[in-house]
Amino acid sequence: MLTLVLLELRKLLGMRSARLALLVCLLLPLLWLVAPRLSALLNVALTSGWQLPAVSLGVLVQFLLPLFIAVTCAEMIGAEVSQGTLAPLLLRPVDRTRVIVGKLIVALLYPALLIAVLVAGSLLAGLGLGLGSFTGGTGLGPGYFVGVGPLSSGEALMQVLRGSVLAAVMLMPVAALSLLFGVLYLNTAAAALATLAALNLLRLLVVFPENVQRLLLTSHFDLYARQGNVLQPLVLLLIYTVGFGLMAVYAFDRRDV
Amino acid sequence: MTTPAAPAAPAIEVRGLHKKYGPHAILHDIDLTVQRGEVYALTGPNGAGKSTLIRTVTGLAFPSSGEVRLLGRDVHNDGPRARARLGAVVEAPARFYPQFTGTQNLQIHADLAAMAPGGPRVGKGRIREVLALLELTRMEGRKVAEYSLGQRQRLGVASAILADPQVLILDEPTSGLDALSIGLIHRIVTSLASGGCAVVLSTHHLREIATYAHTVGILTGGRLVDTVDLRARQAAYRFRVDDPVGAAGRLERLPFVQRVSTRTPYAVAHLSSDAHVPDALAQLSAGGFRVYEASPDHFDLYEYYRERVEQA
Repeated sequence: MLTLVLLELRKLLGMRSARLALLVCLLLPLLWLVAPRLSALLNVALTSGWQLPAVSLGVLVQFLLPLFIAVTCAEMIGAEVSQGTLAPLLLRPVDRTRVIVGKLIVALLYPALLIAVLVAGSLLAGLGLGLGSFTGGTGLGPGYFVGVGPLSSGEALMQVLRGSVLAAVMLMPVAALSLLFGVLYLNTAAAALATLAALNLLRLLVVFPENVQRLLLTSHFDLYARQGNVLQPLVLLLIYTVGFGLMAVYAFDRRDV
Repeated sequence: MTTPAAPAAPAIEVRGLHKKYGPHAILHDIDLTVQRGEVYALTGPNGAGKSTLIRTVTGLAFPSSGEVRLLGRDVHNDGPRARARLGAVVEAPARFYPQFTGTQNLQIHADLAAMAPGGPRVGKGRIREVLALLELTRMEGRKVAEYSLGQRQRLGVASAILADPQVLILDEPTSGLDALSIGLIHRIVTSLASGGCAVVLSTHHLREIATYAHTVGILTGGRLVDTVDLRARQAAYRFRVDDPVGAAGRLERLPFVQRVSTRTPYAVAHLSSDAHVPDALAQLSAGGFRVYEASPDHFDLYEYYRERVEQA
């Protein structure tokens, strides 16, 4: 299994879409240092580099990160089909389930990779503002950007790590959904489009009662900044991830290639 | 008392194979058997279903009904074991990860081949060996994106034979190759078959494969309309003589001649064995016929194929 996961990881890191996404995640936070209206838009004066990861996540998490994930995870199947490399892979004595589970594992790691690079880029950009103790909030802990008083570097780091892990888990269903559409369509563009369309349709369901909304995937795209007990939405997002993943495995098992 | 060993299963066994895409039937009731050491050429017009048949036989596509066994194992329900000794290229030219080198691509295939239950370990030495065999040593460190069409095709054959297959399936293996490379592929295929490997080739080059295939399956309209055993058609000899009709009459009376025909300027005789050629020449000479040439009268597969496809 490790052979397949490492192979998929190598292929993922060789994809142009993944490289572009990682580059954007690394460099985009630098923009915050030269964005004069950022403080006005956030209604808060940024005083510490520890606040930039929350800014980056807030800006990218609603559209750009799902877009990157949708395209790259769809490409994990679509590019193999268009390049003709999926067939040679399946001609080897490897169980189809293991092939798709290998892809799924890497697809689920991809949001974590993007978030890690985004946070690293943000902290790199945050060096200009300083990464020492400060009074205020990171935007990922209690009191959000205003905070609840003085915050040490260690506490700030823990808040950023917590937010990053939650953001990565929050985006995992998008990766699994995109892989599922990849298996169904065997085409990158169609699968990515289907993923984004599904997410946007879910967002439109705000017209439904709150009980229904609580079950929607997109209602929890602010999980990374939520405080208190996040177990319930976390479990829900994991159910979505496992559900989409199992459907992808099932669909791939008897798919003509 | 010992019980006699069960006969080895055929290398490839296809029974009652049907394949539909939606309402469209692509393959109808295909029955096919390829024995170990046999070279089976699959031919037919474009759209006959050759690629679908190959994809179904290799387990890439699933049949609507029927079953496919490789070395006795069901390729659709016991895929990893059935494909454990399979080498195949199902597209022409063969496809590889363009961002990796030839060696890296073969290493990926070697790692995957080793995942079979009891699968063979393929070392770096074997990778270098197959690259050398396919005359790709010079390109081994270059990314596949830089390979020519023919080089990619040869790399495909290299990957197919990498793990010493007992079943080799190649779709259009000589497509895009120059004459020397075609000869190289022929030698490799013949050598593997001599070693007991069953080989299935899909091809349009009938006269080319007639020289080394044992059996030819003609597929048209999704049906396997004929299976020609070329081994049974090789014992004919043609004699270019000054009087073909008279020579045919003389040959017809000989006990080792099964059938005689004329095709001016030739008298064509089906002999019971190649060993009787000198005897036939001696008889013709004794009968006063001047013999200018004696050569094997190869079965004209192209003509036969044309007739069968037109009749179908």
